[in-house]
Amino acid sequence: MGLLGWILQNFWSLLVILFLALVALRIAWRFHRYGANRAELSYILRRSPFYLVVLTFCFFAAAPFLIMFMHTFKTDGDLYRRPQPFVFRQEPTLEHLDALFNNTAYLDFIRNSVLVGIAVVLITLLLSLPAAYALARLTGRWGERAGILMFLVYLVPPTLLFIPMFRIVVLLGLKDSPMSLVVVYPSFTVPFSMWLLSGFFKAVPPELEEAALVDGYNRVEAFLRVVLPLSLPGIISTIVFTFTLTLHEFIYGLVFIANTSQRTLSVGVPTELILGDVYFWQPLLAAALIIAVPVGLAYNLFLDSLVQGFTMGAVKG
Amino acid sequence: MIARAHPFDSRRVVGALFLAPALLYIVLIVGLPFLLAIAFGFSDVTVGNTDLNFVGLQNYLAVWENDIFRQVFETTVRFTLISQIFILIFANILAIIFTQNFTGKWFARFIFILPWATPVSLAMIGWLWMLDTKYSPIDYLLLQTGFLGPNGILSSNRNLFWLATPDLSQISVIFVQVWRMTPLATVILMAGLSSIPTDILDQAEVDGSRFMRTLLQIKLPLILPIMVIALLFSMITMFGDMTVVYVLTRGGPVDYTRVLGLYSFQVGIEGGNLAQGAAISLFAFPLLLAMAILMLRTASRAEVR
Amino acid sequence: MSIVQLSGLKKYFDAVHAVDGVDLAIDQGEFLVILGPSGCGKTTLMRMIAGLEKPTAGQIHIGGDDVTDLPPRKRGVSMVFQSYALYPHMNVFNNIAFPLKAQRREKKFNKRIIREKVENTARLLEIDMLLDRRPRQLSGGQRQRVAIARAMVTQPAVLLLDEPLSNLDAKLRANARDELKDFQRSSNITAVFVTHDQIEAMGLGDRIVVMAEGKIQQIGTPQRIYDDPANEFVATFLGSPSMNILSSDGFRFGFRPEHFLPKTLHDSPENSRIFQYYVKRVEYLGSDRLVYGYIHGHDNDLTLAKVPSNVRVSLDIEGDYEFAVHNSDIKFFDTRSGQRIEAQNLAEAV
Repeated sequence: MGLLGWILQNFWSLLVILFLALVALRIAWRFHRYGANRAELSYILRRSPFYLVVLTFCFFAAAPFLIMFMHTFKTDGDLYRRPQPFVFRQEPTLEHLDALFNNTAYLDFIRNSVLVGIAVVLITLLLSLPAAYALARLTGRWGERAGILMFLVYLVPPTLLFIPMFRIVVLLGLKDSPMSLVVVYPSFTVPFSMWLLSGFFKAVPPELEEAALVDGYNRVEAFLRVVLPLSLPGIISTIVFTFTLTLHEFIYGLVFIANTSQRTLSVGVPTELILGDVYFWQPLLAAALIIAVPVGLAYNLFLDSLVQGFTMGAVKG
Repeated sequence: MIARAHPFDSRRVVGALFLAPALLYIVLIVGLPFLLAIAFGFSDVTVGNTDLNFVGLQNYLAVWENDIFRQVFETTVRFTLISQIFILIFANILAIIFTQNFTGKWFARFIFILPWATPVSLAMIGWLWMLDTKYSPIDYLLLQTGFLGPNGILSSNRNLFWLATPDLSQISVIFVQVWRMTPLATVILMAGLSSIPTDILDQAEVDGSRFMRTLLQIKLPLILPIMVIALLFSMITMFGDMTVVYVLTRGGPVDYTRVLGLYSFQVGIEGGNLAQGAAISLFAFPLLLAMAILMLRTASRAEVR
Repeated sequence: MSIVQLSGLKKYFDAVHAVDGVDLAIDQGEFLVILGPSGCGKTTLMRMIAGLEKPTAGQIHIGGDDVTDLPPRKRGVSMVFQSYALYPHMNVFNNIAFPLKAQRREKKFNKRIIREKVENTARLLEIDMLLDRRPRQLSGGQRQRVAIARAMVTQPAVLLLDEPLSNLDAKLRANARDELKDFQRSSNITAVFVTHDQIEAMGLGDRIVVMAEGKIQQIGTPQRIYDDPANEFVATFLGSPSMNILSSDGFRFGFRPEHFLPKTLHDSPENSRIFQYYVKRVEYLGSDRLVYGYIHGHDNDLTLAKVPSNVRVSLDIEGDYEFAVHNSDIKFFDTRSGQRIEAQNLAEAV
């Protein structure tokens, strides 16, 4: 366990020390830059309540994840007998992580989720890229109406549709197969990405397409050769958010697929790692955390782009 | 050279061609099940017996006269409304924070996005542990600080039973919903705030307006429509949600945290009565539609630029 | 021989009549400027020639073929946009090669031919050292050349230019104007240039089309349009400061400020009309003095005079002077229609 063990055993003190060190460094840097005078000090003091608010919000947002992180490495004895959730009384252990990957269907869940996600992203792009462009530029008033209809569809929650969809999935012979999700997930990813993408397409100056038309291309070619390459950053962020939407989905996954090895992450982890009343807490918490962190990073990375697409999409074109 | 127009030269043709596949897919995959849901509601279909026999309004009447349904409906509305108040307050504060520049913003944003980025069912596992009847870390803290335990202020017990008492279970569910939905509302508000033209803000500054005045008299009024959109968006999302309660409480204790989506799942899928399950979920539809239309009307009037 | 022929061209956007019946013939090799205030329909007219807008009514012929229903790419025209519309994701070479690649199959262009054509055009416009750059790395003037190169590389029948100089700063603009004119003359291409800037129009155009409210007001050489305006709109739209217009019984008449000079400066006072002029204000513009005042009997119409600075006549504020205009410099307009009326005898009535 070495370094990780040491870090875990001193988790909270290290967290506090790291934070204080960063604050001290920042203040020192300001003093170095602007001079260690009274004005600077009063500026820092005036600013500190703001950071306190930020810190409070961060703490509430992060608390469950911090607990998840610590508990992943706790032995059963440490976890259940006279619990002291914030410290390690026994040596941290990797056995639960090991169990999660080797003794459960966790890897199957990951594989299923990734495959479903990729397939859905491909179908979604194929359908929504041209449709979003049509909404943004080609169709006039009736296109706008179709766009509103699509958006209404996005607002129809799965809880309203899962029963008839279950019947359709059974009829198609897709019950218990991840293919059922590949068929059904575009019902919400397509409206979502159409909305986002049409925002990005609206941001491309119309003269560029007109220039392509005058330069000898038809509308389809102008879309493929000018609009698509220029919207690439927007398309990438649409891919990211579409993929995570499929990762999040729970109800359809729960209803359509009953056998363990075919389930996706969001359904498999909470249903299969709990046997009746027996909770395998450490693997459960680890399984959640391992997914949460990369998705959170991806969201943060593409958030500005999402905000931009949202704004453009909301502005009438 | 005989010059002729290709169909791909026509805006109308290409527009229709581009829109058709997506529209068709959506109509098939959403429209059809939706009609089927209505048909189910008028039938006696079950998981075992898949014949559709017309039974008129029987299912709807049965659902409507069912006391549990009424309670479930009430709970759903209550949860949705109460959580929106907190979501709106926190989202406004956070949106203002995250449209400023400050040290460590990137990391703070990552932390604050986590509740939204994490798949709901997985985030709920974390809360399931946080609110555990016996091992809750929150209880442990309260115990250590004297709020719990033999001489505790809150309870003489060692635990509060967050998910097991009528009041606390409802508070817990609402708290967790606020926790996970606030980032989404924040992001929508951030979009609104960042679309305010800088000219207007510069003008306000030149006019001598300080931070609070600019916020209250310029920024908030300008993003009011966006705020309504954020509100309705998270209301609709929450109204149709069943994942949180499915993982946390399964609707218990008794029926205190049972919401519409979960109830329809339990009757329709777990109980095998597809017809009544469909009827239950359809009761939510008029309300959702009203919210959606309200939202779109606000959106079409919102001209932030 | 006219290469572009517009007949009865109309474009209505709902209730707005952007272009309202235009007939126009553009000659091979000429530099035609369409001039008008914003909203006069000039850009819509050009976009219809390009094929970017579909006419509500009327026909467009290019090179003798009816192209009214053809898409832009089948018309043999090219266009320089106001914003230049360079493709930001392509370097200069690929921007210029883009129209050639569209014709690759039809005209059997291979890579070598495309490279040759791009390099030749680039050399002509002196941008051959910029071929590897991206548009955002170029200055305004360079961008404009790239846009022109991209428009010229396919040797189109007609080159359409939509206010391409308006994004350049004043100093660059005069220079760019010269170059554009030289380039057009040497390549003998037919150019249609849309602008709201009369100096640009006068400097560039072989002929100028003045448009207002969707209709053509006058077509002619710059000099003709300036000296011999067809109606009151053309008369006042051209020239800075604009023509003085005064009302009289049953008609209106006007003269340009530079023709309105102290009587003593006129060599033949017998052929001139003399006015009593009250000076209200004088502005010194360096080469000229701009005088603001009123003619007796026309106390509501501010009348301007543009007196060269080298004329040593003292003009005091609130002083009365005798000013004169040569009879041939007075233009007469119908009060109701604004159309020019040629009537020598009216001069007596002024």
